[in-house]
Amino acid sequence: MNATYLRTEVRRTLRAPRYFIFVIGMPLGLFLLFASLYGQGTQDGISGTAWLMVSMSVFGAMGAAVSIGGRIAGERQAGWTRQLRLTPMPGWTYVAAKAVTALLVAVPALVLVYAVGALAEGVRLPASTWAEAAGWSLLALAPFVALGIWLGHRLTNDVLGPLSGALFTVLGILGGVWFPVDQLPSALAGVARALPSYWLAQAGREPLAGTWIGWHGLSVLAVWTAGFTLLAARAYRRDTARN
Amino acid sequence: MPETTLAAGVRIRDLTKSYGPVRAVAGVDLDIVAGETVALLGPTGAGKSTTLDMLLGLTRPDAGSVAVFGRTPEQAVRDGLVGAMLQSGGLISEVSVRELLELAASLYPRPMAVADVLARADLTELAGRRTTKLSGGQAQRVRFALALVADPELLVLDEPTAAMDVESRRRFWASMRELTAAGRTVLFATHYLEEADQYADRVVLMAGGAVVADGPATAIKAVVGGRTVRATLPGARAADLEALPGVTAVEIHGDGIRLTCTDSDAALRALLAAQPAAKDIEVGGADLEDAFVALTSGATA
Repeated sequence: MNATYLRTEVRRTLRAPRYFIFVIGMPLGLFLLFASLYGQGTQDGISGTAWLMVSMSVFGAMGAAVSIGGRIAGERQAGWTRQLRLTPMPGWTYVAAKAVTALLVAVPALVLVYAVGALAEGVRLPASTWAEAAGWSLLALAPFVALGIWLGHRLTNDVLGPLSGALFTVLGILGGVWFPVDQLPSALAGVARALPSYWLAQAGREPLAGTWIGWHGLSVLAVWTAGFTLLAARAYRRDTARN
Repeated sequence: MPETTLAAGVRIRDLTKSYGPVRAVAGVDLDIVAGETVALLGPTGAGKSTTLDMLLGLTRPDAGSVAVFGRTPEQAVRDGLVGAMLQSGGLISEVSVRELLELAASLYPRPMAVADVLARADLTELAGRRTTKLSGGQAQRVRFALALVADPELLVLDEPTAAMDVESRRRFWASMRELTAAGRTVLFATHYLEEADQYADRVVLMAGGAVVADGPATAIKAVVGGRTVRATLPGARAADLEALPGVTAVEIHGDGIRLTCTDSDAALRALLAAQPAAKDIEVGGADLEDAFVALTSGATA
């Protein structure tokens, strides 16, 4: 993967209106709103405001990861991926560039929400903790990147848009991104702890309490990543088969 | 890169591809000498696009072989020897024309300078424009630029001037002339028969998945006799006209008749003898369109 290719991909993503609305604007706005409504008290050993801050930062990052599916679907439809097959670029590079781009454009989503947390909402953390929270959030984004790549190769854009929106919301609610899972009925709370969205949110929050998601959380994320990667690889092979 | 492999040109042997019961390409043989400009003509469904797809390595043949400069199509593409302009070749959004070409150039081992590509594709003035803000003809020039940026030895163009206006088309072919003067090999499919006639060294006609004629445009015209007789003849009957000597095809449009002839002299004498009412008579050379219709209808009948 060459630098020009990656730079162009990142620049394109940042220019898309969808990015500003769903990855930057909405999480920031919701954080400010929720912090004023529910910012009091503590949750999972951290302040309510810090808890919400991480929630909204991973919500934006999740949006960045899943939105690459829409770009892949659109570029397949437009015939761009076919055009790329007429260049010396190996096919896997296309997917790899999309994955790296998703992670890179997730960084501003995290950092901006953190910045608002620190400057406007009084969240005070050591520099190392900020870095740990961001690092773990990006690591835990892996299953969503694979999910986006899978869906992008399976669906057309008009199906993918509403579907990923719905999926995103359900994963957010059930995974305790929006409110703590212990507020869910106990059966659903069990489901939540098996979801990648739960462990994504926890991966970002645990460092604030001086802990980490542990081997169990890491395993759940690894299983989802492996599953989606397998599905993505199969969809990619089917999509690019010369028949 | 050894000259000997470039000199090998393109070699297609007994190429066959079926989709279900449909034989899209049925045993095509085609040799293109390095430096040649070849037009591929044929009606929709003739197998042109499938042939091009196999030539580019996008589609796997059922049987037969393709060699591009002595290597597989995939290898030729990997070596940066091939530039292609697909009919459906999509552009990506959120980039300017220049950024798109810089991206494409970064993928090739020996790309043409982007400024050079912009100039040759007549895009210099549009370099800063977003790809989503281009007209159909402008987008088509960007697709051409994408084919050029590899600085390829073989250019494959699928209906390159579709959606271009007359002036763009003229400039496009002027640019192509410069490019081919440098010894590049070009294979283009087109619906504009006069383009094939004017710009190709050789015309390959396809119908029903097979090559039905292959030669210089002049030779293709000669195959169908090369002359037409037009006249005004109210109440003409096709059967009477078809019976005239030297006539191979008859068209009647209202009072106008059009005879395609192998021997226009004999046909004209007989016409005047048999149909004294015929007037406004014109005799002309057949154009490529006639050759096209005669040859392809013969092959599909």
